[in-house]
Amino acid sequence: MSEHRPTVKTYALTWGILLALTLLTSLIGLVDLGPFSLAVGVVIALIKASLIAIFFMHALYGSKLIRVVAAGGVAWFLILLGITLADYLTRNWYPFAQR
Amino acid sequence: MVSASSLALRQQFNNPAQQRETVTLGMWIFLATEVMLFGALFTAYSVYRIYYTPAFTHASGEMEYWMGAVNTAVLICSSFTMALGVHSAEAGKKRLTVLFLLLTMLIGCIFLGIKFWEHYRHYLDHKVPGINFQEAGALGPREQMFFFLYFAMTGLHAFHMLVGLGVLSVMVLRVVFGSISREYHTPIEIAGLYWHFVDVIWVVLFAIFYIPGAHLR
Amino acid sequence: MMSTIAVRPPVVTDYLNAEHGILSWLLTTDHKRIGLLYLFSITAFFFLGGVFALLMRLQLLVPGGLIVDPDTYNKLFTMHGITMVWFFLIPSIPNTLGNFFIPMMIGAKDLAFPKLNLLSWYVFMLGGFTTLYAIVRGGVDTGWTFYAPFSTAYSKTYVVAAAVGIFIAGFSSIMTGLNFIATIHRMRAPGLTWFRLPIFIWSMYATSLILVLATPVLAITLATLGIERIFHVGIFDPAMGGDPLLFQHLFWFYSHPAVYIMVLPAMGVVSEIIPTFSRKPLFGYKAVAFSSMAIAIVGFLVWGHHMFVAGMSLYSAMVFSFLSYLVALPSAIKVFNWTATMYKGSVKMTAPMLYAIGFIGVFTIGGMTGLFLAAMGIDVHVTDTYFVVAHFHYIMVGGAVMAFLGGIHYWWPKISGKMYPEYLAQLSALTVFLGFNLTFFPQFILGYLGMPRRYATYPPEFQVWNVLSTAGATILGVGYIVPLIYLLWSWKYGQDAPSNPWRTTGLEWKTPSPPPKHNFENTPVVTWNAYDFEAQKEELHLG
Repeated sequence: MSEHRPTVKTYALTWGILLALTLLTSLIGLVDLGPFSLAVGVVIALIKASLIAIFFMHALYGSKLIRVVAAGGVAWFLILLGITLADYLTRNWYPFAQR
Repeated sequence: MVSASSLALRQQFNNPAQQRETVTLGMWIFLATEVMLFGALFTAYSVYRIYYTPAFTHASGEMEYWMGAVNTAVLICSSFTMALGVHSAEAGKKRLTVLFLLLTMLIGCIFLGIKFWEHYRHYLDHKVPGINFQEAGALGPREQMFFFLYFAMTGLHAFHMLVGLGVLSVMVLRVVFGSISREYHTPIEIAGLYWHFVDVIWVVLFAIFYIPGAHLR
Repeated sequence: MMSTIAVRPPVVTDYLNAEHGILSWLLTTDHKRIGLLYLFSITAFFFLGGVFALLMRLQLLVPGGLIVDPDTYNKLFTMHGITMVWFFLIPSIPNTLGNFFIPMMIGAKDLAFPKLNLLSWYVFMLGGFTTLYAIVRGGVDTGWTFYAPFSTAYSKTYVVAAAVGIFIAGFSSIMTGLNFIATIHRMRAPGLTWFRLPIFIWSMYATSLILVLATPVLAITLATLGIERIFHVGIFDPAMGGDPLLFQHLFWFYSHPAVYIMVLPAMGVVSEIIPTFSRKPLFGYKAVAFSSMAIAIVGFLVWGHHMFVAGMSLYSAMVFSFLSYLVALPSAIKVFNWTATMYKGSVKMTAPMLYAIGFIGVFTIGGMTGLFLAAMGIDVHVTDTYFVVAHFHYIMVGGAVMAFLGGIHYWWPKISGKMYPEYLAQLSALTVFLGFNLTFFPQFILGYLGMPRRYATYPPEFQVWNVLSTAGATILGVGYIVPLIYLLWSWKYGQDAPSNPWRTTGLEWKTPSPPPKHNFENTPVVTWNAYDFEAQKEELHLG
């Protein structure tokens, strides 16, 4: 309990930024960005997710171990995603010209 | 020395600080397993989105866009009240804690209501794979994949919301009947962690299911 | 200090007689009692899976098949695989020896979450009974790998019930892994730093990481499989745009690391037995500790070597092949360090030591043949042949089961408070070693000659190797039943065990045998390194 924790003000500010980002991403969504619409949406979502994790879940306020666990979970998901996609993205490459 | 915290100390621990750290660590490890649980479905989404980009964009245009956007805001509000609930518990303000927990649950119910309404609309539109999916247009068969992933992932998310509501109900009872106090409020904290995590998942779900085709509306 | 070695106080309350009655077991939160609940449950599953195996070997005694039709044979190998993998091997060492000894080896009163621990056993049994239901109703014939689209569209057997059972049991794995990680981080006795921990703890930690990070993916994969089978949504069906290989990716993301869930704990057990009976600290402690972690991490990067012939990307396959070779490095480090520990030690050939030495030899063969399979060129030749079957049985049966038996014997005095009959135990250790190699070495040859796995019949020229294999399986069966009998016998009639019969280091030996309910009267303070016989010379009566 002695450790540093966010104040009500910080929570309220986080809440405001999250709502603003939600509005922003909803409006950007209405614009046709072609292949980038998913990418922009996901980047904003990840910013929002990080804000929730840092300020609401105190991910950076707790011990180093907690940070390692949180980062580990995300890293392992990226292993699953990255290696699986590596197969799908290169499956149609052929080393020799197709006959 | 017989304070509320020593009464709540389980026999396997030596002191309250150790118990608090261990329980919090346990919750974070659990959240890491949740990342992998949803991660498998995110992977499936990525694979099929890469293979069937046009169909996924098109199907995404059939989402109830503003319902999804409003629901995102709703869930963020519930996260805010949850954070305030944890904050009140830390400060030992029991009434305020109960109030914020109940408020969080109420907003959570609103989210589930809107979500259920959306699912019901899709059902009426014959968009539920395996039950009544009707293909429309050349992209139809590939759109079914989108809708399956949509129902699987938002369904799994809604299940987590229901579990969260159950957990919060127990927390309200524990605060009211006194096993939670200023010295011992770890259960509220870890319930909060779970609630926020479920929020995080939704924020990403909104981005991958609603936004790619929103401009087609 | 003297009294901790030989003399037992006349009246003792230990964890076994602290409470009585069936409810005191079914509602216990004592990690030692839960360890025993698991021990009885997985032993039952082991012999059930063993019966399936013996029936298969009997079938393959003659080229045309001896006892069952091909459909039944398909069910036999499936149910053998499911029972052995999920209901014996995965929980074997972690949930029995790990449950029992992690708190004792780190000087804790219990695991971090005792109720969660009990819940994990109930969840495990629920999963077990659900799978038993599938078996009793008529079995499953998909193979333990449940490959789509056969499992989702064509099999007419009880696929969903079996998958639900495994799905449920998976949550028991997650609970156990979570509990162990939290315990090892936060419950260590004062002074017990990471590099003073016994290697068994390191390997259980690495195992738990895999349990926690891989099992959720299996859960979702099996759930999706069930949904696809019931509702036919098309996620793995090419006709509807689905990719069956996605199932394989997700399945092996779990199931390849699952092999390390089986063998890492075995390595931990061996790392305890060898220093004890060589009277030397473990050679290269840090290298062995870090190699456990390396195996856990690199093990997550290699799953694609199960899919070389499935039609995946050639480039991906090359990377998977390369990464698979990397796993050999930490494994070899361990083998060299165990051998170096024995070098110039005063080696005592007790039954646990026989199992441990057997493990080193058998594991080396299993690991080296794994390299054959990591090489794409050879893998294409031997995929789905008996070569693969022999390879993974050398790791799972020769490796994991022999280390499990070694560990059970090693810690039996502590668990039961009784000594096991040493000569009989040595004899059965030799029987297991002989029977195992006779069963599975011929299968390497069969596979290399081209006999495919999962067939109920085979051409006559393969018969001699199959007969040898069946003969070996019979010997192996005897080697497993004899310990079951004498261990149960010793529980009642065995000689009382002193608190530290092997005169070895380690906190678990500083409690009476069997230990009291909360393990330690006072939380111990640790000032020595693991396996430091020199530091405890007087206490251990070493000259």
